[in-house]
Amino acid sequence: MKNSVLSSTGLKLGYGDASPVVDDVSFDVARGDVFAVVGHNGSGKSTLIKTILGALPPRAGRLDWSAGKPRTIGYLGQQTEFDNRFPIRVRDLAAMGAWPGLGMLGRVDRDCQARVAAALERTGTADIADMPLHHLSAGQLQRALFARTIVQDAPLILLDEPFSAVDQTTEAALLSLIDEWSVEGRAVILVLHDLSAVLQHCTSALLLGNGRSLFGEPRETLKPGNLVDLGYMSKSQAEWMEAMYIGQGAAVDV
Amino acid sequence: MFEWLQYDFMVRALTATMVLSFSVAPVGAFLVLRRLSLAGEAMAHAIVPGIVIAFVIAGLSVTSMIVGGLTAGISVAVLTSLLARKTIIREDASLASLYLIALALGIFILSAAGSAVPLKSFLFGSILGIDNETLLLIGATATVTLVSFALILRQLITSTIDPVFYESQSNNPGLVTHWFMFLVVLNLLGAFKALGTLMAVGLMILPATAARYWVSTITSYLVLTFLFALTSCWVGLIVSFYLPEVPSGPAIVLVAGFLFFISLILAPQGLHLGRRAKSPGRGQSQNGSSPPQKSN
Repeated sequence: MKNSVLSSTGLKLGYGDASPVVDDVSFDVARGDVFAVVGHNGSGKSTLIKTILGALPPRAGRLDWSAGKPRTIGYLGQQTEFDNRFPIRVRDLAAMGAWPGLGMLGRVDRDCQARVAAALERTGTADIADMPLHHLSAGQLQRALFARTIVQDAPLILLDEPFSAVDQTTEAALLSLIDEWSVEGRAVILVLHDLSAVLQHCTSALLLGNGRSLFGEPRETLKPGNLVDLGYMSKSQAEWMEAMYIGQGAAVDV
Repeated sequence: MFEWLQYDFMVRALTATMVLSFSVAPVGAFLVLRRLSLAGEAMAHAIVPGIVIAFVIAGLSVTSMIVGGLTAGISVAVLTSLLARKTIIREDASLASLYLIALALGIFILSAAGSAVPLKSFLFGSILGIDNETLLLIGATATVTLVSFALILRQLITSTIDPVFYESQSNNPGLVTHWFMFLVVLNLLGAFKALGTLMAVGLMILPATAARYWVSTITSYLVLTFLFALTSCWVGLIVSFYLPEVPSGPAIVLVAGFLFFISLILAPQGLHLGRRAKSPGRGQSQNGSSPPQKSN
């Protein structure tokens, strides 16, 4: 097995005593992997992310951390509860990624400041570092949050629908960052709806839907037939997607 | 002009409210930032029966007041959370129902017991009520509050801006919320003598909302909230000194209200913000992206 970070066998996910959202989830994520989680609304994508973070225990099955659970897990969630009116500058939002490592009274030292400055440069937010959050566009805010994720300097990074409110240019820039994280040997798990991004940038994919799951190489896992079977799209949408992205040679079993 | 400085009770009141301002400013600032302003108001009323029952049983001692107030405050908070989880009524309606019952119960007991403390002073505060014991309570409240903020400020900021991110990074994400609500109740008790139970939360909320119109960083926000709270207290106390029929609580809160309206009109993030938003050009980003929202 290559440098595995996290694997699961027969994982059953769900909340409390309610019937499980998804059953029998098995996957393997190694260093340098960009692992996409795809599925219809309510298929269990965010439930899986919460389970990996430890906020939700698995109902059954195993989640194995090959080298132990990392002390820091990079995380960028959906922005439904984010408060962009809080009086804080972009620079301080990025520095927040280092706060858990500083303890209660630790100071943001020069090394930390340098890490923040480098993260702002990489995300193209250095020129707006002193701007308060409420002046930012959705794209700028997401870049600033990616800067915070860089400052976290985590071996495993979880991103829950990171491009849901940004334009194509910003999405392309942030996908390049994810590619760089992969080259650096970090494992990235991201929930995505943009199948073209999955096919171009991800090394493996987990398709969730209708209580089932499929895991494997993206082009194989996201075959139109699978997407229809697991309720991700209709037959006509799958035919259109096949023509757009998969090409003439791909197997179509719709 | 400064004859009020010759009176011992005024010097005590000015000192007490200065220390109190150090304490209530960060608590009020985070009540506003965490969108809990109305919950703070409700909590101020919810602690009344605890204070009253303790007073009827043990007299107006600081210890009985703290025990009674904390018990009532925590009970209402726990009951509110329980009702919100177990019944169809949401948290705001549960809290409103409980604090109204608590306030009515407190005033009912106070009146029925034939209290020696005038109701007006109980509800609206009295600068004459600041004795050595109250000074000690305010000092202890400020110490606990400021030490707590030194320890949990980063957690409070993170959990306020991005609660989901905070939960992903914390082993016990609920602890900071519970600790903060304890500080709210503690500061309401600290402010009780000077401002009365109806006005205590005013010193927390109004300086914090007024200051929010002026600033864009958390440090400057906390400093300005303190300065507004201190100004409100001192000017309010002096007004109350010259107009003896006016209780100190409403005088202090009215000065804070004046600062609020001045800030609303003059501050860069007050009504000015609305005017700027209508002018062309605002919101165009420096990265050339005021991006179109992508449908998903």
